[in-house]
Amino acid sequence: MSLSHQSRMILSALTMIIVLLLLLAALLLPKIERNIKVMDILFVVDITQSMNVADATIDEQVVTRIEWAKHYTRETLAALPCGNHAGLAVFSESRSLVLMNPVEVCDNYHDISQMLSKVDGTMAWAQSSEVSKAVFTAIKAVDLIKPEPSIVFLTDGHESPPIHDTLFPKFRGDLGKVTGVFVGVGGEDLLPIPKRDEKGNSIGFWGVNEVLHRDVYLSGRADLDQRPRTEHLSSQKQSHLETLADMVGFDYVTSPERAKTLIKALANTAKPRQQLVNYDLSPWLSAAALFLLILVYFPLQVLRWK
Amino acid sequence: MSLMDLHWSQPYLLLLLPFALLPWFNHSQEKTIAWSAFVPKDPWSTTVGLSLKILSSIVLISLILGLAGPYEPEKKVERLGEGAEIVLLLDRSRSMDDAFAVKTQAALVSVGKKDSKRRVAKSYLTEFVKKRPDDRFGFVLFSSQAIKLLSLTYSKEAILATINANAIGKGLKDTNMPDALIKAAEMFEDQPYRGSRIVLLVSDGGQILTEEEEKKIASLYKRMKISINWIYMSSMVGVTLDASDSDSYLWEDLPERKLHDFFNSTGIPYQAFEARSLKTFAEAIDEINQQQYQTLIVEQTLPRVSKHQPFYIIAFLAMLALTFAQVYSAWGVRKAHE
Repeated sequence: MSLSHQSRMILSALTMIIVLLLLLAALLLPKIERNIKVMDILFVVDITQSMNVADATIDEQVVTRIEWAKHYTRETLAALPCGNHAGLAVFSESRSLVLMNPVEVCDNYHDISQMLSKVDGTMAWAQSSEVSKAVFTAIKAVDLIKPEPSIVFLTDGHESPPIHDTLFPKFRGDLGKVTGVFVGVGGEDLLPIPKRDEKGNSIGFWGVNEVLHRDVYLSGRADLDQRPRTEHLSSQKQSHLETLADMVGFDYVTSPERAKTLIKALANTAKPRQQLVNYDLSPWLSAAALFLLILVYFPLQVLRWK
Repeated sequence: MSLMDLHWSQPYLLLLLPFALLPWFNHSQEKTIAWSAFVPKDPWSTTVGLSLKILSSIVLISLILGLAGPYEPEKKVERLGEGAEIVLLLDRSRSMDDAFAVKTQAALVSVGKKDSKRRVAKSYLTEFVKKRPDDRFGFVLFSSQAIKLLSLTYSKEAILATINANAIGKGLKDTNMPDALIKAAEMFEDQPYRGSRIVLLVSDGGQILTEEEEKKIASLYKRMKISINWIYMSSMVGVTLDASDSDSYLWEDLPERKLHDFFNSTGIPYQAFEARSLKTFAEAIDEINQQQYQTLIVEQTLPRVSKHQPFYIIAFLAMLALTFAQVYSAWGVRKAHE
């Protein structure tokens, strides 16, 4: 670029006038209103006893599934941009119990994470673990919350008592009305399930003869269900969760490592809501001003010498 | 407030600061000068040149600092307010699904939907919370056991969301009153005494406590200076907490009466409100609302304050001078060429 001294002076002067106007605009322009997309999410944490199996890992440390689920929920809460809303629910027996409706994640981060830390197996009100029915009740409960949140269901998918494929409970809701994501917890190997008393103290493991191994509706027809007797052991039931996800139209991510994985899955399925925010243009205006100014002062001879 | 106390929302932009030196390397030697020693030394123009460079650096520095998002972080301040610290103790047992304030025994059988006790309690408590700007609320969920669900918080959004969640779905098994009362008191444990402390119990029944439980509860509430307000939601019109002559003999040993007697006997500040209709429930809430205004230390979080404006103002003023100088010289150069 070769410019005469005169035109260079004029060009600089013009650029500087633009910079000045940009700065003036950055100072005086009021904030504009803009719509951003926010999600409402209800985290449902499985607190049944199979969640006490220690076969999940956080930073290469082996932890119980429930600890992992809580850790992952907290990570996700922290990673969600401000403006999004999140609530908490727990699942035990055959239903999901909503503890807190969705609240804005940044303003209430302390309160949600406090509540999350209180979630554990001692909250359970019964010892069975009917995952599919709990999913259905979660969908029903969500229907009563305005605005309707998406569901994040953190579970190992362990059904106790077990259900036979042909006797699956029917989903009676509208497919796709409520969106959600299953987060699968736990490893692939069958491991014994720690047994806890009401106070949460460990009292050994569930024995092979202490749990049901057949769907109760098949109890008289053992010939129809020839599965091995392994219901006292637990792993992440991936195929079951896949079936369930198909049935209710949810997504399924298995043992995700980063909060981003879930947030991406949510962004793909959840129906975002528009929220009006005040948006400040001044950073963009002053960034443009800075860029132009650097151009003005950039020693062009440096470029030419190269 | 000095520059050092500021926080930066985009600190990496501070890496651009070296660009502020650019004006010092820019010798616009475009003009052809035979020998620079021919140019007379002029102290006045040296000063002007120097101050223009300084001004340019100032503009660049303040723009970069402004863009890096300086802010004063959120602060916690304490101020004196009026109100109370209230732990809500809401019964989530199955019986709270029943219709509220029905007139006959037969109507009791039909499970209430919109008019269930839990829903009624929800809508009035929501109103109550909204009326009390300075209060700190906590929430204990109780059925067969009690869970300290929401620690005392100033966030109205959080407590309202918890109250609303409580109205969703069916109730849980049964009621464990002693556990609930103990857990509710424990919410104040390790908390500095800020002002009046209340456990607001909303339930439709009582429970007969063992002597040991009674002792524990009485000493806990006395030690921590907590008062109890009980909104008793009777399912059937006519049941009162205090005995009267017109009582049905069936009511004499009602657990709620025993609990009422226990509360009265302990010497803990205690008041019962018998909600027999929507109207009396509303009145009870209003009465609590009016009574519970005592001086209270309120911790308030002041939100973060953005501090980029002063930097932009400095940048603008310096830029104004620079632009003026540049336009003037450009005009001068043009004149000279003519």
